[in-house]
Amino acid sequence: MTNHTTNADKADDGQTVSAARAGWTNTSVMIQRFGILIALLILCVLLTFANEYFLTPRNIVNVLRQTSINGILAIGMTFVILTRGIDLSVGSVVALAGAVAASFATTSATQGVYGTPYPAVIAIAVGMAVGMAAGGISGVLVARYRVPAFVATLGMLSAARGLTLIYTTGRPIPALTDSFRWIGTGDVAGVPLPVIIFALVFLVSWYVLTNTRFGRRVYAAGGNPHAATVSGINVTRINIAVFVISGGLAGLAGMILAARTGSALPQAGVAYELDAIAAVVIGGTSLLGGVGTVTGTLIGALLIGVVNNGLDLMGVESYYQQVIKGILIVAAVLLDQSRNRRA
Amino acid sequence: MRNAILRLSTAMALAAVPVLSQAEPLKIGAAVYGLKGEFMQIWSEALEQHPAVVAGDVDLTIFDGRYDALVQQEQFETMITQQFDGIIFVPIDIEAGATAVEAASEAGIPVFGSNTRVNSDLLTSYVGSDDVQSGMMEAKYVLDAIGCKGNVVIIEGPIGQSAQIQRLEGNLKALEACPDVTVLERKTANWSRAEAQSLMENWLTAHPGEINGVIGQNDEMALGAIEAIKAVGLNVDDFVIAGIDGVTDALVAVKSGEMASILQDARAQAQGALDLAINAAKDGDYQPMSDIWALYPDMPWEDGKAKEYNVPWTPVTAENVDALLAQRQ
Repeated sequence: MTNHTTNADKADDGQTVSAARAGWTNTSVMIQRFGILIALLILCVLLTFANEYFLTPRNIVNVLRQTSINGILAIGMTFVILTRGIDLSVGSVVALAGAVAASFATTSATQGVYGTPYPAVIAIAVGMAVGMAAGGISGVLVARYRVPAFVATLGMLSAARGLTLIYTTGRPIPALTDSFRWIGTGDVAGVPLPVIIFALVFLVSWYVLTNTRFGRRVYAAGGNPHAATVSGINVTRINIAVFVISGGLAGLAGMILAARTGSALPQAGVAYELDAIAAVVIGGTSLLGGVGTVTGTLIGALLIGVVNNGLDLMGVESYYQQVIKGILIVAAVLLDQSRNRRA
Repeated sequence: MRNAILRLSTAMALAAVPVLSQAEPLKIGAAVYGLKGEFMQIWSEALEQHPAVVAGDVDLTIFDGRYDALVQQEQFETMITQQFDGIIFVPIDIEAGATAVEAASEAGIPVFGSNTRVNSDLLTSYVGSDDVQSGMMEAKYVLDAIGCKGNVVIIEGPIGQSAQIQRLEGNLKALEACPDVTVLERKTANWSRAEAQSLMENWLTAHPGEINGVIGQNDEMALGAIEAIKAVGLNVDDFVIAGIDGVTDALVAVKSGEMASILQDARAQAQGALDLAINAAKDGDYQPMSDIWALYPDMPWEDGKAKEYNVPWTPVTAENVDALLAQRQ
């Protein structure tokens, strides 16, 4: 483990590096390290003044709920991008896992595959398994058979969508049981379940990436796969694992979406991968691998959520939302590159 | 899934029955813009269940346009090469489809529009429903229910699509009759339930206690609005909500009194167009086999010679909802 320290440094998001340069120019370092967080805070302050309802508890709950599905996908995506990969299939996996889980949790006579609905726990376990299996297939293709991640997951994007349409015969699976719908519509002490699940996914991912051997190996495998292999890390296994995580989280997001909308829709999740990748990139994770944090991704996802919510509140046409998101993505990468040049 | 297997085995059983009618079945193709939505699924199934197809008089091929005008154009070229006897066309784009119709027309293959319009006078006939009318009907329902005063929001389809343009025209026409009603918000949710849900949640925040009615330009978005109202802890009964299309989830919601919907009869649009295509291929020596002509006296057959057939809209009510749901089984 000769390269352990270097990678641990990266895991800390350049803490040591910036500390060494602290005396140089404090503000520019601050802007680079916390740029996205500052942008998010400025945006929130502006919206608070622009719209009287923005900073109300109910609206904050709305923003968090609307961010949760993209946030969960983006956290899975972070694992994959940290190892230099990309997962384009998450939108289709959302639909597939949502549909399969729903078929176990519906009271509909025609779209329920297995007669009477199963307990929600079983439906959820099946949906998770479907997502992890889809991710596992992509992971094996990428890690073992050296298919570029872009190609392997592009294939999965198409195949999983097709399987969804076959499985559902192109129709929604309606009439989901109340216990299954709870994961999308329920709340605990006023906090919606999707938000709670999102928070748990974030906390566990943050802990895994910063405090476990697996997390360090993810950074190592992405930062310098050759060095990681030399130091005894099974890079193939790490690469498969990150796709299984991404697929599993896509499955989870798909079930929350189905529970939230009341039906599993075969066309659900189209283009969701783009928002997930956007959140990761805005959050400062490098597409070159090895550098990035789930905290950044969380902020990136929140930024997208706040922009969408704020422009809705102010009655701005949705086309502007897309332009603003585009500018954010590019600005975030520019910021990231200026940081890399200094380092 | 079980459905699909059942359907497959029925299809195989039918294929095994020897074709007793004419020596050569007619080759008719249906180019539809995409098969991902429930509406086009119902449309396609209705086409396959047309008596002439079941009896083997027509050899039907359905082409999935995958929401791409270019794909549809290529499918037209395939049908022209294979010398189809007629084409039923549900275009993705009102303008881009015109070139395809022109090519078929040059090759002497008659083209029949169904469900969605194409901007071409080379169509032999068109069977569809007037979206302006449905837009008016749903808006009028909402406005009547709120007593022609108060505030409404409109959730629109993708801006620029013909259904969005025409349904909006109908919405606004109905609104003219109620000058005391304010349209608080008007924005697209791209026919999507999930998008409409976020949009409505944000509107409920921006206009607390002010929204009385929700005009969804399709059922999916109206259903999204219902979920949003529930998600923020309000009572659906305090809102008047309407959508268009009559998709299965909407029928269920109508049944539980949460919304109103207007059924677009996919079966009549599909089977009507096929009857017209068969009629043209047989040079008018044909009596329509589908029962839809008897169902809609307001839409006379006219020897298959009319340019336009207007399939009436059917408001989904507590009285007819059970029968409609039974059809979906």
